Amino acid sequence: MDVRAQISMVFHLDKCIGCHTCSVACKNIWTDRKGAEYQWWNNVETKPGTGYPGKWEDQEIYKGGWEREGAGSIQLKGAGKAKGLANIFHNPHLPSVEDYYEPFTYNYLNLIEAPPGDDQPTARPVSLITGKPIDVKMGPNWDDDLGGSPDYARNDPNLEALTPAEREAMFQLERMAFFYLPRICNHCLNPGCVASCPSGAIYKRGEDGIVLINQKVCRAWRMCVTACPYKKSYYNWHSGKSEKCLLCYPRLEAGHAPACMHSCVGRIRYLGVLLYDADRIQRAASAPDGEITRAHLDLILDPFDDQVIAAAQRNGVPDSTLKSAQNSPTYKFVKQWGMALPLHPEFRTLPMLFYVPPLLPVMASVTQTDGAQKERLNPIAKTWTDDWLYDTSTEELWGTIEQARFPLKYLASLFSGGDEKAVAQPLKKLMAVRIYRRWKTVGDIDESRVDEVLKDTGLSRDSAEAVYYLTALAKFQDRFVIPPAHREQALEMLEFTGDTRGSQGFGFLERPERGA
Amino acid sequence: MTDGRAYAAYTYNVERLVPWRTLTGRQHFYLDHELYLAYGEYLPTYKPSPRPEAYGDLRETLKSGEAMALNCLTPHGKWHIHSTYMENHRMLTLSRGCEPCWLSEADAAKLGIQDNDWVEVYNDHGVYCARAAVSSRIPRGVCIVYHVPERTVGIPKSQVRGNRRAGGHNSFTRIHLKPNYLCGGYGQFSYHFNYWGPIAPQRDTHVIVKKMTKVIF
Repeated sequence: MDVRAQISMVFHLDKCIGCHTCSVACKNIWTDRKGAEYQWWNNVETKPGTGYPGKWEDQEIYKGGWEREGAGSIQLKGAGKAKGLANIFHNPHLPSVEDYYEPFTYNYLNLIEAPPGDDQPTARPVSLITGKPIDVKMGPNWDDDLGGSPDYARNDPNLEALTPAEREAMFQLERMAFFYLPRICNHCLNPGCVASCPSGAIYKRGEDGIVLINQKVCRAWRMCVTACPYKKSYYNWHSGKSEKCLLCYPRLEAGHAPACMHSCVGRIRYLGVLLYDADRIQRAASAPDGEITRAHLDLILDPFDDQVIAAAQRNGVPDSTLKSAQNSPTYKFVKQWGMALPLHPEFRTLPMLFYVPPLLPVMASVTQTDGAQKERLNPIAKTWTDDWLYDTSTEELWGTIEQARFPLKYLASLFSGGDEKAVAQPLKKLMAVRIYRRWKTVGDIDESRVDEVLKDTGLSRDSAEAVYYLTALAKFQDRFVIPPAHREQALEMLEFTGDTRGSQGFGFLERPERGA
Repeated sequence: MTDGRAYAAYTYNVERLVPWRTLTGRQHFYLDHELYLAYGEYLPTYKPSPRPEAYGDLRETLKSGEAMALNCLTPHGKWHIHSTYMENHRMLTLSRGCEPCWLSEADAAKLGIQDNDWVEVYNDHGVYCARAAVSSRIPRGVCIVYHVPERTVGIPKSQVRGNRRAGGHNSFTRIHLKPNYLCGGYGQFSYHFNYWGPIAPQRDTHVIVKKMTKVIF
């Protein structure tokens, strides 16, 4: 057992309001620079949608992540030694500027310098790359709130799991729904970017598992851009280096949450240490298709287990980090309660960012009627042209999850590699906590019913209360349990970073002076 | 921010027990003013929107070519307070670089409008030029322009209105006074700036939407 510590994240999607404050906080701190204008290390997508860069989930296009071969070993889909050499001068799978978007600003000067005329001037959009007027055709959040749904939402790669009728139902006005999916680098346990880099510039930090690109070693092969199936490594055309989310490690080392998490309005983000067994990474990453999610979650160890603690201590994990692991909100969501799942585990990079899947919209059962809806509503109300009845007053506790507006197949395609049971479980737990709270605060549900529901999902009253607390009431110190930095072990922290502003992901720039 | 807690509405009334500024000092759900009784709005009431003819926003405007009369709503935007922050570079980047006119998939198909095409939105009062955002979340017969676009940012000249610079959404809306708002002299129905007085529920209007023939800045 090779026990290591990883700073991991949980995003609670039921709480995300899609305000993009995280994106703006990240942009202002890290990517407000020449060559990085198009980069959004943190972005928020509307689902269903094609996201940013367009259709990033479709690995037939981008060849990201790993693929399992016949013998059960895994290979990078689009990068690696042989494939890298073959594409050395031209990599056909790289996303281009059209896939991201051409960054733009406006010719504001025209507002005060336009020649005299009989009409008010206006500031036209101009490209931030060429400076010339452009037609804005794409942006980092172009399909926001189902904008352009015929072209984007309807082409969401995850819809392939659905039948045409199920797809159509998702876009019927009275039945449709959407949710927001905020994304940052997953700081994976089996990162494709690290494996693909021909220069060895990308590394996973020992003490906390943050994946970084050494800006002095990067030679702009851009293999990481292809290899990352989440498209969270970006090429800076100005500096000629690749860049990515660094989980705000300078903030973490000072005890602050990353900017995206600190600024989160919906308080959807949690950060904490997970202990994992590095010996089992390869086996988990190459698990057969149906077993990948389970194998992934099995890597995470119990921080209260004496053997795990001893093994961690042998590996030099400080006691303060172990203590953080025991208080970790991510351990609670991911392991203790089993309510959070990785995004696209089938990419086999073992992402360490987990999502509590969305229960929204409010549960309703859908039944076919013969115009019964008209009779139920008053005569002036608008009635739908079809015969579907949306009933929110259901007595059925679990049936509704299978009949929710979001087909389970769709959520399973996102969060469990197609395993509907795996994605139903967290949803049932979310529902159980709601039923428990309803019994406690409103009291119109039978106590026996509540006990039955909790028993079905493996929650106790105490754990339901704890889920409620961490979901609805948690404060900064509950949501972000940041292990103290250990300066004596880390070299990066000894560096003065002020003189390398404008670059990031820097690693061991020089040896620190020690002793005589 | 007081004692680590952000300001919220009604804290004075709840914590310091200051009576609400109403006839009874309590919050009112039922409004017993004569005018409200007369209009049947003494309790929160659904009333269907008046027909386009009653609004009279399209008496003079000629519908020509592939165009369609739609009910236009101008709700509050997602990340701006009226016009504030709307034309901020970050937020323009995170939206579509403009405040588009949202159309339903069915209406857009009928008008031959594809997502991101330029459209003109006009009626008797004025014209707005924007790109179309075609979406399945918009009901048929309705279009939306979020409150409030800036005509200083990327608004072309209108082709249906003599090649003049188009306005914002305020150019095609107008103030419709709702009679209940004129009542006064009774408890909380007493004029107070920004609290009670004749305001303008102008966010419901009718427009003609058509694809722009030429885009001239």
